[in-house]
Amino acid sequence: MADNLPAEFDVVVVGTGLPESIIAAACARSGQRVLHVDSRNYYGGNWASFSFSGLLSWIKENQEKSEISDECEDWRKLILENEEVISLNKKDKTIEHVEAFCFGDQDSAKDVEEAGALPKLPVFGASGAEGVAQDPNKECPPLDSAVARAESCEAEKAASVDTASTVEENDTEVNCENEGSPSVSSSESALDLGKAEAAPSEVSAQEPKKIMYSQIVREGRRFNIDLVSKLLYSRGLLIDLLIKSNVSRYAEFKNATRILAFREGKVEQVPCSRADVFNSRQLTMVEKRMLMKFLTFCLDYEQHPDEFQDYKNSTFAQFLRTRKLTPSLQHFILHSIAMVSETDCSTVEGLQATRKFLQCLGRYGNTPFLFPLYGQGEIPQCFCRMCAVFGGIYCLRHSVQCLVVDKESGRCKAIIDHFGQRISANYFIVEDSYLSESVCRNVCYRQISRAVLITDQSVLKTDSEQQVSILTVPPVDLGQPAVCVIELCSSTMTCMKDTYLVHLTCPSTKTAREDLEPVVQKLFHLNTEAEKETENEELDKPRVLWAVYFNMRDSSGIDRNSYSSLPSNVYVCSGPDSALGNDCAVKQAETIFQEMFPTEEFCPPPPNPEDIIYDEDELASEESGLSNSPETKPEPSPEESSSRGSTAVNEHSEE
Amino acid sequence: MSMEDYDFLFKIVLIGNAGVGKTCLVRRFTQGLFPPGQGATIGVDFMIKTVEINGEKVKLQIWDTAGQERFRSITQSYYRSANALILTYDITCEESFRCLPEWLREIEQYASNKVITVLVGNKIDLADKREVSQQRAAEFSEAQDMYYLETSAKESDNVEKLFLDLACRLISEARQNTLVNNVSSPLPGEGKSISYLTCCNFN
Repeated sequence: MADNLPAEFDVVVVGTGLPESIIAAACARSGQRVLHVDSRNYYGGNWASFSFSGLLSWIKENQEKSEISDECEDWRKLILENEEVISLNKKDKTIEHVEAFCFGDQDSAKDVEEAGALPKLPVFGASGAEGVAQDPNKECPPLDSAVARAESCEAEKAASVDTASTVEENDTEVNCENEGSPSVSSSESALDLGKAEAAPSEVSAQEPKKIMYSQIVREGRRFNIDLVSKLLYSRGLLIDLLIKSNVSRYAEFKNATRILAFREGKVEQVPCSRADVFNSRQLTMVEKRMLMKFLTFCLDYEQHPDEFQDYKNSTFAQFLRTRKLTPSLQHFILHSIAMVSETDCSTVEGLQATRKFLQCLGRYGNTPFLFPLYGQGEIPQCFCRMCAVFGGIYCLRHSVQCLVVDKESGRCKAIIDHFGQRISANYFIVEDSYLSESVCRNVCYRQISRAVLITDQSVLKTDSEQQVSILTVPPVDLGQPAVCVIELCSSTMTCMKDTYLVHLTCPSTKTAREDLEPVVQKLFHLNTEAEKETENEELDKPRVLWAVYFNMRDSSGIDRNSYSSLPSNVYVCSGPDSALGNDCAVKQAETIFQEMFPTEEFCPPPPNPEDIIYDEDELASEESGLSNSPETKPEPSPEESSSRGSTAVNEHSEE
Repeated sequence: MSMEDYDFLFKIVLIGNAGVGKTCLVRRFTQGLFPPGQGATIGVDFMIKTVEINGEKVKLQIWDTAGQERFRSITQSYYRSANALILTYDITCEESFRCLPEWLREIEQYASNKVITVLVGNKIDLADKREVSQQRAAEFSEAQDMYYLETSAKESDNVEKLFLDLACRLISEARQNTLVNNVSSPLPGEGKSISYLTCCNFN
């Protein structure tokens, strides 16, 4: 089945993170022949999201850090005399200090496997295609023969690098252990799953249900756990690009519903829209007026230079103290609205940040933020789909051995892939983590500290369980970074019912666990069931069921010249940065694209498929030009009228 | 704009090995064409056909793989909001049938639980080169709880039937689901997702 790749492209893109994927889409859109590869078996690199079992495999992989033995170097004979080679990394080294914790009864999950959407595959289904492909003469074994099943498990174990088996390692192991009992538990669990969905009334609504680790494993595919935690500013560059390029049609979004603050050991909701402020029960009348007055000023602060002129050299925090604002209002504005540092942020920067927040309000909802359903990891893939629609060729599990550089011109001519195939192109986009240590030896990387928790309750309980909240926890010691906490509910399609997925992020000062565990302890209850009885005051806090900490390399903002000896037609994309929004990735993609193709438009709207199909040819070309101005032409969504999706898709307008 | 010119809208997604005739099936159904001009699909995301079933207008949005199946690199979002999947193999190609379990794995991982899956054996016009017997395919589809049909995009055999039957099933599923969904649907004002950012134009 392994088709051969063409030997020549215009652009080769290595890595499927967000900036690379945007560039790939932009290039294909402008008519370039694009090859887009990733050495991993999933899209997104460090921007990926995983099901629970997928994340467990990812953790295992990153904890082991085994060096891949050098394979045969046959490809070297493909290098001509007047060429030299820049080797690429075989192993990703961007993730460190991975520590996972289970706070439930892990043993209970021993015999549990992830339930699928479909009834379990029959015998030969258990083996990946690899197994089948290796043995083309093998006839399909009869249904449910235990022998065949054992065989197929063996086959799968044997297949070392395989799409499905790496991701679903846990499943397959369990499969094999269960060999003795032929009626596999999964078919039952699949049924249970169906029942639970069909009859939600069985679920009692009062007590927060106790979720066991085994349930997390079984419903593992309901989780879409992002390696990076970001939100989309509703007037940020990414939203603009998604709309302009029409890539938004591949994704669905949900509003962040609450902005939270952590003050004096308590989580509170921050009122930010006009309606919020007036409806707030925690603010006094006087405070409401103060806050409205200040926010209104921030919206057009540049028109009133006299108001902040004298504080240009002060910090924003100092400036806030001079305004007529109570301490709690100052806290809200500094940490939750502007989301800036108390010690480093200047008055003007703070005003800018506040204005950006306010300008994003009301476009799609009560907060400035959107979150993609199924996780941030969908977004790079949406751009990849766009690239493929315009002819881009996609290969996951495809590594690149080296770049081939012409000695004379100093330009990169080709890559050699892991099959030893030489593929030439004019431009090469390479994600930072693929570059070898020798290329990066002068590069100074920062780190991001990340934690992901699965919890049983929201950090701030209200009538509605379905909240998407963002909370900034200010540092205990001045000068340390604040921790950004994003809590996702099950309707974001990132976690199972009755759980919450909590992401913590900050620029690293130490290991992720050292940086973030203090915040986790403040917000959550970490102990196991037995100890819980004794501490009554702790009962109010959500319980952590499972947690992982890790550090991720932050390769953003690196000057191109710090990479040693890269040819001018090789462009480097960085991995995720620690900022909340995605502007950095979009800016980088656009800059690189413009450098390569200065005269081409960056991701113009594609023709509308409906026009192409419905109308006769001549009509199509006329209409597609007109009908694509975004924001003027409402387009019905698949869900809207099908009356299937209960979460009806609607415009959500605010005053 | 034109949100009223149909009663139902469904997203149907095609998967299966490269070369089994997925694009041909879509083009035959939506445009009555065979073979589809190669390259004509560049820039086409999905095709639309509105059909009438028992007096109700059903708009079918049919998505093709954009070639990402060639190297087993289909993006997850392709499966996400699909109402139905057409899993296609070539009856003259054993290999394309053997790969079905692998496709089912992908579906299992990424598609919705409620998705309807149809197994389609294409190219019955090449009956003398058949490698996959009807019985094997029928057994397989039964075990997987899928509907099963053989087609010829070239001769237009069963192509209409495939999509029209699917539309009927989708309608009846949709009816049942609205009943069930009413129970579990989120309160108004919450759980609202925003799709197609182009819809949103206010302030």
